[in-house]
Amino acid sequence: MSVEALWRELVTAALLGTNRREPPELPPGPLADVVADAMPPSPAARLLASVGAVAAARRAAFVPLPPAAALQPAIRDARPFCSTPAVASWREVIAEWPVLEDEWLLTVVERGYRLAPDVLVEMLQRHRTDPVRWARVALAGGPLALWITEHVPSLAAASKREPPVDAVTTLPDLAMPPELAELLALDAHTFVGRLLPGFESLQFGASHKAVLVNLLARCRADVLVDTADELGRIGYGLAFAMSDLCRLRHRMLTQLTGVPLA
Amino acid sequence: MIDHVEVAWRCSCPSRKLPCKHSLALLLMWARGLVAEQVRPQGVGAWIDARDARSVAGAAAPDADSSSAADSGEPAAGDRNGSGSGDGSSDSTGPPARDDLTQSRDERVARMMAGLVELDRWLEDRMCNGLSDPALARYATWDDLAARLVDARAGALANRVRRLAGLVGAGPDWHSDVLAELAILHLISQAGQRLPELPSALGDAAATASGWQVRQAEVLAGVPDTDDWFVAGRSDTREDRIEVRRLWLYGQHTQSWVMLLSFAAYQQVLDDSFAVGTVVRGDMHRYPGGSLRALAGSREPDPIVLHAPGTLPGFGLTVSGACSHIGRAVAAQPWLDRLAVTVAAAPTFHAGRWVLGDATGALPLLADERSLASLLAASCGTDAVVTVEWTPRGLIPLAVHLADRTLDVGPRADPSFTGARR
Repeated sequence: MSVEALWRELVTAALLGTNRREPPELPPGPLADVVADAMPPSPAARLLASVGAVAAARRAAFVPLPPAAALQPAIRDARPFCSTPAVASWREVIAEWPVLEDEWLLTVVERGYRLAPDVLVEMLQRHRTDPVRWARVALAGGPLALWITEHVPSLAAASKREPPVDAVTTLPDLAMPPELAELLALDAHTFVGRLLPGFESLQFGASHKAVLVNLLARCRADVLVDTADELGRIGYGLAFAMSDLCRLRHRMLTQLTGVPLA
Repeated sequence: MIDHVEVAWRCSCPSRKLPCKHSLALLLMWARGLVAEQVRPQGVGAWIDARDARSVAGAAAPDADSSSAADSGEPAAGDRNGSGSGDGSSDSTGPPARDDLTQSRDERVARMMAGLVELDRWLEDRMCNGLSDPALARYATWDDLAARLVDARAGALANRVRRLAGLVGAGPDWHSDVLAELAILHLISQAGQRLPELPSALGDAAATASGWQVRQAEVLAGVPDTDDWFVAGRSDTREDRIEVRRLWLYGQHTQSWVMLLSFAAYQQVLDDSFAVGTVVRGDMHRYPGGSLRALAGSREPDPIVLHAPGTLPGFGLTVSGACSHIGRAVAAQPWLDRLAVTVAAAPTFHAGRWVLGDATGALPLLADERSLASLLAASCGTDAVVTVEWTPRGLIPLAVHLADRTLDVGPRADPSFTGARR
């Protein structure tokens, strides 16, 4: 009798209880010897000793299931994974400044990287109700993204409608007043010169935070370091926060482009 | 600890034989010159000083000491002036004062033994009445038993009982699962009642499984395993009202595993000082009995990221090789619940469930959706080097080791429960 058959018999006996049915005798062998050595004084103790011996044997002697057919593998993608520091920056972006996520993702695509597997799964899950961003993730994930959603359907986009290609491949515009929008194309020196007085005179307050975030998320990348330094020197909450945003964006772009920006 | 001058001993083990085998072994090693001369450790110094102080007080008031020892009626093991010494002159102060710590330990052992006997009786009652007894469906049945085990200082068993309660009615085959867990409780209880008869390592392991608590200071005072430890995987599980983090570290030279545990109650922070995929050079102090569980000792401050961890010796077993590895460990300690192993295998779907398989066989996966999807994405459907945590119900994927990085795919604590570290 196999260990599994013996176990099933013991389960049946334990289900009914020894008050209703005598426990089965173990077939002669090492397990029966172990039970006999324990000298159980009652049918319940005998059943318990048998169950203990068989459970231990069953656990230790477990064998794998027969080999299973492999899945059809995903189509190979020659693009390298984005680097580990870039993944760490993405985690910081979604935790601190999610406004930067679109740029992070589009830079990954533009620079010829693909998403690391763990990031791909998290992003598919995160954006499944946003068709444009989900499509962008699928673009950065490549064939693996579609393969994974075939096997884990809950990661697929909630909407079946495909978004326009332009919307997927273009960085979305962010809202800001015209006087700030004028600063987007300026060089570092002029940019800092125009922006800083607003902070120094405390003209910018909490109500301006949203538009300032939008400005610093879309301004030229080469103004970020100087702006971060100057804002950091001012020394009050909003300026510190904006300085932090500039530094994170600078770090993120440097990691993804591989080129230290000014 | 052994005082070879006046022959006294103290040990943290739960053995009721005095002196215990650990004390005798240490004394024999010293007699054979196998114990190196070194600076007196702080704990030993404190023990000797305390005994000296008691001995002075005993000399000043011999009558008081005499009466307390007579009342106790216990052997004076552990007392510096006590019996068990080969030195008759030390009896001049009369019967020795009983060491408070030893007394408290004896009481604890007695309580635990009583708890184990009661547990076995309870298990026999279950066998009499059968698993179809409606009382099993009531949480109070299990909770009362767990509370009694806590009173008996068998906390580890109490936790097992509480976990077991969750298996009742949890699936179509729950009778088998519950019976298997009752069997393990019986094995621990039997082993716990026979500690002095068991081989040293098994006895220590059985004591720990029964809930015998060893102080961290005592673990840290033991000889460490020094190695380059690769942090191979992490898993977070909620147990009752506590989040438990298990970190599995693999010694590159010793080719052995250790497990570090950390705990967090609501809004507390779990230990994140070990990052999966890094190597830390340092000391790991194992709990008694060659346990997998260890405490981190001194270690170098800067962990390094290990590239291509899949090439480590002993990593990337076949599925059948992993079964043999697990089987050997479980045969040695049938109550083992979790064990880390690293296999080179591919996730695939078979007979209505996800498995991890290769040409030698397949093992069922027990993964949440995120872990499974990350494992699939990392493997692309082909063989990958994966660290998994074996449990009797299936494998939990913890980490996938790629050529240039390790992905942590293990189950994560709910961030709304644990506090965030900033």
